[in-house]
Amino acid sequence: MSVAPYDQILTLYRTLLVFATVAVLILGVGLVEFVYFEPPGQTTGKTAHIVGVLEYDPATRTTKGPDRTTFARTDEFAGVVDWSQLPPDLMVDARWFNSFGSIVGRVGPGTAAELGPQSTVPVIVPPGLHHSLPGHYTFVVERLKDGQPVEVLARRIVLIER
Amino acid sequence: MSAHAYTTPPAANPHSKLRPSRYWIAAVVAGVVVLALIASSLLNYVYLETIPARASLYGLLAVALVALGTFIGVRAFTRDRASRRKHLIRAGVLLGLGVLLWLLVIDVFVFTQSAGPTVAAICALACLPTTAFGLLVVRRMDRNEKEPWRLVLVAAAWGAIVATSLVIWGESLWDATAQHTLVPGPGLDASIAFSAGLLEELAKGAAVVLLFLVMRDDFDDVVDGIVYGAAVGLGFNFLESVAYMTNIYSIFNPEGIGWEAAGIQWYARQVLGLFFGHATYTAFIGAGLGVARQLPHLRQKALAILSGFLIAIAGHFAWDAWLTFFPIDPGVLGLLEFHLRTLIMTGPFTAAVIALLLFGIRYEALGLVDQFRKEAASGSGTILMDEVPVLASPWQRLKQRLLAFRRGGFKAYFEVARLQSAQLDLAMERWHRERKEMDTPMEAEAALRQRVLELRHQVPAS
Repeated sequence: MSVAPYDQILTLYRTLLVFATVAVLILGVGLVEFVYFEPPGQTTGKTAHIVGVLEYDPATRTTKGPDRTTFARTDEFAGVVDWSQLPPDLMVDARWFNSFGSIVGRVGPGTAAELGPQSTVPVIVPPGLHHSLPGHYTFVVERLKDGQPVEVLARRIVLIER
Repeated sequence: MSAHAYTTPPAANPHSKLRPSRYWIAAVVAGVVVLALIASSLLNYVYLETIPARASLYGLLAVALVALGTFIGVRAFTRDRASRRKHLIRAGVLLGLGVLLWLLVIDVFVFTQSAGPTVAAICALACLPTTAFGLLVVRRMDRNEKEPWRLVLVAAAWGAIVATSLVIWGESLWDATAQHTLVPGPGLDASIAFSAGLLEELAKGAAVVLLFLVMRDDFDDVVDGIVYGAAVGLGFNFLESVAYMTNIYSIFNPEGIGWEAAGIQWYARQVLGLFFGHATYTAFIGAGLGVARQLPHLRQKALAILSGFLIAIAGHFAWDAWLTFFPIDPGVLGLLEFHLRTLIMTGPFTAAVIALLLFGIRYEALGLVDQFRKEAASGSGTILMDEVPVLASPWQRLKQRLLAFRRGGFKAYFEVARLQSAQLDLAMERWHRERKEMDTPMEAEAALRQRVLELRHQVPAS
């Protein structure tokens, strides 16, 4: 009885299936990561009040001028949060992200009551640079659970012009 | 019965029903791509930043002209000599118009961007030699039957122009929605990485799928698939590098370090990441299609193609999502970390695609040697028994060409090269026919045999 020779294309096919299994695992890990950092069912319905994003004077640590959505790259600016709108025992923080996703300003974490006096959150120019880098900057007030941000209570996006 | 009858495999599918259906699928894929391009450009124009979106909208006609021109140009080579010239002229006119229009669009686009046209031109010029080197290496990976330059360049052009245009709207929408709804951090990074992996690999993969469907005669197996896939990836990487370099230049130039920042991008994308990146990811899509090309059952074919896409998406996703888990030290150690990060994160994928390639080359070589022997045994005179060891080895073939060069200069070298190439084509045709993977009629094989015999008469006996 003759036996049909083994077609080696099947080895390639099976190798590809093994790689695809690893690929599915990688995508699965990605999905788990996403769910871990974006846990479902965390919406409390609470919202924070961002008073505005204003020009900032680092010497006096005060803001001035009107609420704005665009700034020149030479401008110093800060977000102003009204913490009193939130339940005093709620664990929160406020952070600035630049267009590369790096944190460039932060207050907290702490309870809303603890952060009450720190209503101004300035953007810090990264070390080695003279001014903020251009691009879209995101300012978020976040609720934390077990030390990890789980819900955005307020968000503002401003543009730093080139 | 003659020896020839025993050793020449019968026509597997002399009047195949596969060809029309393949072409229908290709037409549907092309239609979807065109519709997606139109929708993407219109939506960009209405909802996204006006200037780049306007460029994208005006660019539609250029993309359509380039697509039509390349299609007519590529198909022209499958026509008879009499009508080929006419089709090539048509293709040339369309391509010329498309390129002119595209240049106009780029001109408008570049002039309105803060980096300026000089910076964009310098960035593009810096990326050209590295991308050309990448394409040269990728094409040379096919040791036995190199893909035609016209198809390799079409693949790269698709990656650079069509695939990048396809993803603008989808990625912009996905990223904007994610940034307005998700918590900044690893979750948001993962979401954006899913968008890049999925949309960019689908856009690049569409080119490889179309080549697989339309240019079946030049898409033989896993090796060809990897070559085409990598070429699409290199094209995409070219335009992405230019875009990132000009963008990063305009961001850091006011700090006085614009060229340094653009230079780091160039090194990361065009040197370190030339093969460890888009080329690797899309090569997997080509590998899946190449394996599917030689599988007998539809279910296996579908699974192989799906696997190629899944691996490409996962590889791309892993890099984009987990890049931030490997922070780079600003000191000297950072230089080492910078290289190690690429090696650790993309290296395993590149190693896997190289493994598929090496196995594919070996598998192809075994199939061809078997066909060389059978053709020699048939006594047709196209391949002689003592030529088999020479044809079986790329080095021996090169040695034979160099011997011819010494004997008769470039003319003799190219005559031998053409003969070897025709003999390899014939063996490849026989291999596919024996495996019942062929939908061209028997006459095509007879024509190849005739061509080998004609070329043999031109080559003086060694």
